Amino acid sequence: MSPTPPASAPPDQSPRVRRVTRVIGVTAVVATACTVWLGLWVTPPDVTQGDLVRLVYIHPGVAWVALYLAFGLAAVASLLYLWPRTRSLFWDRLAAAAVEVGVVFNVCTLVSGSIWGKPTWGVWWAWDARLTSTAVLLVLFLGYLALRRVPAEPDVRAKRSAFVALFAAVDVPIVHFSVLWWRTLHQGATVLNPDLTPTIHGSMAWTLLLGFMALTLVFVWMLLVRYRIGVLEDWLGTGELDVALRERRAEGPAVDEDEAA
Amino acid sequence: MKYVIAGYVVVLAILFLYAMQLMWRRRRLLRAVARVEASPAGDAARIDADPTPDHR
Amino acid sequence: MWRDTVLVAGKDLRIEARSRVALSQVAPFGIVALVMFAFALGPDRSLMARGAPGLFWVAVLFCTVLAVQRSVSVETVDGAKDGLRLSGLDPAGLFLGKSVAVAAQLVVLELVLGVGVVLLYGAKIEVPWLIAVSCVLGTIGLATTGTLYGALSAGLRVRETLLPFLLLPIAAPVLLAGTRIWQAAMAGGTPADGTPWFRLLVVFDAVYLALGVVVYGPIQESA
Repeated sequence: MSPTPPASAPPDQSPRVRRVTRVIGVTAVVATACTVWLGLWVTPPDVTQGDLVRLVYIHPGVAWVALYLAFGLAAVASLLYLWPRTRSLFWDRLAAAAVEVGVVFNVCTLVSGSIWGKPTWGVWWAWDARLTSTAVLLVLFLGYLALRRVPAEPDVRAKRSAFVALFAAVDVPIVHFSVLWWRTLHQGATVLNPDLTPTIHGSMAWTLLLGFMALTLVFVWMLLVRYRIGVLEDWLGTGELDVALRERRAEGPAVDEDEAA
Repeated sequence: MKYVIAGYVVVLAILFLYAMQLMWRRRRLLRAVARVEASPAGDAARIDADPTPDHR
Repeated sequence: MWRDTVLVAGKDLRIEARSRVALSQVAPFGIVALVMFAFALGPDRSLMARGAPGLFWVAVLFCTVLAVQRSVSVETVDGAKDGLRLSGLDPAGLFLGKSVAVAAQLVVLELVLGVGVVLLYGAKIEVPWLIAVSCVLGTIGLATTGTLYGALSAGLRVRETLLPFLLLPIAAPVLLAGTRIWQAAMAGGTPADGTPWFRLLVVFDAVYLALGVVVYGPIQESA
């Protein structure tokens, strides 16, 4: 028996949650600004990579958020939704929010990696394991978002999306290893060094840490807002229909479905 | 160095634009909710409101 | 479960035998794809021969999408889905049966495409058994993931556009492994060349077989 969505309870958000969200947002902006300032001006250039090393304060951070934080959260939330004892639309909405934000960070990862790659390797793109798996991950979760757009009952959509997220999560390690082998086992391939992170110390290490924290805060803020949007959208999806139906019925003689068909 | 600047600008721009879009969507949805609640049918809806713990 | 598997597989294959969609539409599409690739890669035959393994598997992937679409549409027309649910068939058996049917069609298609690749691209196969094993393992992987995603997207009007988009990235490991094994087969490689790829395919197949058997039932309930 699928739970019917609450038709009429207005989706209010507690003022505490709203305040927390705003605080996180402001902190995120401040932390990001500090990272940029430290990364671009205060920290020294690297011995080998020169100024290019400054991208290390951004690129691994967005990658960590996208691949582990966002998609990991989405996978766990999807599992929790599928597990009967913890089934709740909360997990579904959380997963959806995490995937959408994760996709944005994934794009940032690929773009920043590409921009770093051009002066380093001479090419905008390389088919090494990490880049390729990240691209496949992006496509998989774009598929998730596409599937969610299809109109359906909330619990049907939730179950479907959860399965897709689960399959995607299962597939990512497989794809990663197969691409890794694809590169290394292919005779005569020039193995591009995918490791762009230099040995880090001193002010660079602190800035790197700050960068990670700043981007994590940005992710959390985006997640909270996107989750809220999901709640509002779902309520309006039913709320508006209910209201429209009531207005229609109040107008006059009842609408006969058979006549309308 | 110009690559570094480009990298920072692009990533921050993407994040900034998405953040703006999120805030815009939220505001638009909140306004829609307010509209629905204000209508007379909205009052009728609230009378037989059925709050569930699931709705956060 | 096994009885239902045989039942469903038999049903699907009988439908195919009578309608001959795979043979008369999907196989020719595969050949057309091979021809299009030839146009794209130009008249340089050595380039085509080198690209043959990858092109073979890409063509197989496209045919898989079509075969799965067909497999799903067989269930969703004329209230067949409700009939299926009322029949009390074990969902695991349903999953395996449909996978077997799709796999059988894919094997035939791979034969056709394989012959096409050898003839059209001049690919020379030194070690045929590598090809055979890789095709068997790859087919299992494609059929199981295809059936799973077919069920996920069944009943959606956008299924035609959504299914390829969902399925192909998942099938990427099969493409990678199959291509590498073919290349080894063409280069006259030893069995050791294929081992890591065979292991990958076996893991892939095992994972999706297990997932499918467990998860197909709940997916059907929500469709």
